[in-house]
Amino acid sequence: MSETQTETNLIPVTVLTGYLGAGKTTLLNHILTGEHGRKYAVIINEFGELGVDNDLVVDADEEVFEMNNGCICCTVRGDLIRILGSLMKRRGRFDGIIVETTGLADPAPVAQTFFVDDEIKAKTRLDAVITVVDALNLPARLADSSEAQNQIAFADVIVLNKTDLVDDAALADIEARIRGINRFARIHRAQRGNVPITALLDQGGFDLKRALETAPDFLESDSHSHDDEIQSLSFEVEEPLDGNKFQAWIGALLQEQGQDILRSKGILAYAGEKRRFAFQAVHMMADGDFIGPWKDGEKPTSRLVFIGRNLNRPRLRRGFESCRAS
Amino acid sequence: MSQTSADHASGPATAAHDRLLDSRGMVREADAFITACVISRDSSRIAFATGDGVVHLAAGKADPAAAWGRLAAHDGSVLSLCQDISAQDFLTGGDDNRLCRILGSDLTASAGTAVRELARGRRWVEHVVSVIDGRTGLIASAHGKQVELRDIAGQSIRSFAHDSTVTGLAFDIKGKRIAASHYNGASLRFVNAKTDAPRVLTWKGSHIGVAIHPGGEAVVTAMQENELHGWRLADGHNMRMSGYPQKTQSLSFSRNGRWLATSGADMVVLWPFFGGGPMGKAPMELAGIPGVICTRVAFHPQHEIVAAGFEDGTVLMTDVASKRVLPVCGTQEAAVSALAFSPDGSTLAFGTESGRMAVIDLAVPQDKP
Repeated sequence: MSETQTETNLIPVTVLTGYLGAGKTTLLNHILTGEHGRKYAVIINEFGELGVDNDLVVDADEEVFEMNNGCICCTVRGDLIRILGSLMKRRGRFDGIIVETTGLADPAPVAQTFFVDDEIKAKTRLDAVITVVDALNLPARLADSSEAQNQIAFADVIVLNKTDLVDDAALADIEARIRGINRFARIHRAQRGNVPITALLDQGGFDLKRALETAPDFLESDSHSHDDEIQSLSFEVEEPLDGNKFQAWIGALLQEQGQDILRSKGILAYAGEKRRFAFQAVHMMADGDFIGPWKDGEKPTSRLVFIGRNLNRPRLRRGFESCRAS
Repeated sequence: MSQTSADHASGPATAAHDRLLDSRGMVREADAFITACVISRDSSRIAFATGDGVVHLAAGKADPAAAWGRLAAHDGSVLSLCQDISAQDFLTGGDDNRLCRILGSDLTASAGTAVRELARGRRWVEHVVSVIDGRTGLIASAHGKQVELRDIAGQSIRSFAHDSTVTGLAFDIKGKRIAASHYNGASLRFVNAKTDAPRVLTWKGSHIGVAIHPGGEAVVTAMQENELHGWRLADGHNMRMSGYPQKTQSLSFSRNGRWLATSGADMVVLWPFFGGGPMGKAPMELAGIPGVICTRVAFHPQHEIVAAGFEDGTVLMTDVASKRVLPVCGTQEAAVSALAFSPDGSTLAFGTESGRMAVIDLAVPQDKP
């Protein structure tokens, strides 16, 4: 399947997460009332903070269950599988789906849902995880909850809200703190959720290139802040990889350390292959596919990033390098 | 029926695979996903429900010349459809949180007269089933974690709560018991019990659909993990039926309960419920199309003949004993998403994800060429 086909056929799903009071619902209403001419179906949890201004709103309970597939951390949202499956039957009435989670939710089960279910995989794509954080209260949240850290770790886009409530120095500190956990997310400063819609929707979530653009120095610069236990690491190998070796290595790594590795993703250059191989995983659930070819003049280089706890950089580097085609 | 099968089943289906649809079928396009199709208790009305809230009604062979009815019943998608207690009517549940009755007698009626709202709640009405129990009937609908048991007027008689969303509902054949599937198993209840004390059939995981054996011997659920789970009711024995490449969306017992037909593989998988089965028995595999997943199955109401729809649009009927295949319809543009026999077994109806609605007359032809 070509990249363009993938883009047009699958309904994009945006996951909106963030701590209670961070401004999730305000942002959601900002998105829904924006001048974009698009219709969204919105899936919210029953205990939402504010009313949602949209025609198609589905109330959901966050029904998480554990898959009997041998992965101890493979939890998914059964309610989402059911609701998305039904919404797909009324296609044509909306252009995308937004899923709002409760403040305390771990984003992993939502993200894993898109790996587990064949029907969901065939008809939707996870466009991006957007995490709303509150500039004033984030330090306290990070100190008292691992969910707040997980929500930042999972984000493709972070809306740093309520920036009017703190001064510039505090804001810079908070951004550094976020970067320490997740260097690959795009951060947008906002007041009352006033972020351009184009920065939130159609992010093509899994686009390593954009992550590289946001953090051009991300390679090898270890800026992990020691206040938080989650860090992000990235690796690059210039020589082509042996696809089988990579699959064997990453499979074993995720089996062993999948509980600690929240997200991993990469664009890989396999020996003898003109197309790029896109890889991504949430905990132990991994997925990969060939996407379009390398651009003219672009040097095929394999890049891989990990966001998680207890990451051992030298060991991961050695492992990734051992996947080179000999 | 058997006469027809013999005529058409000879030789492999090549150019002739649409013959049955062409010679004995009526086809209409709905321009919306067909979410379900059901034929009325008296076999005279065929209802197709769509993803845009419309119910299409046909008279089938009862009156082939009659125009089809088109009723905008729900504001959203029709999530569930079943026979009503009465002879020609239907019940629907929608994602507009409404439970409706669709009157089938007059195909020219407008939605204003033919659609009656029975209930409106705060959750999607994802499942609706009905059963005739001797002199009277019962209706059950599921919305969220709740199941409402209703009388024939649609009034709630009692409600049953569950810990998680109800994903499937089934009455037993006599209407004495009702089973609801949900996370970690299914709940089985006597509908007339004075207190709500369900028999909880437990198995960890997400159960996404349920069927009750016609002889009351077992309850079977489909699971998210591409397998079926069953409980033998006599002793609560667990039965695991696995090996599917995809989820089973459709389950159908044969009339006498000897076989359970299932979708989810690139063939029709039949589990034997006799001779000690399905435990320790291999399933029978029928009418496969390599690499093409079966999406819907329906057992004939009298004979051991199973109809199956596939993801490429193919529809087949297969005689279980002889394994002879009768092609109904070849590859179409979209997957078969709904499939049903009439109670008298003389009509087969199917619908597809792209909106094709087909009705096939299976009766022994009067004007055979």
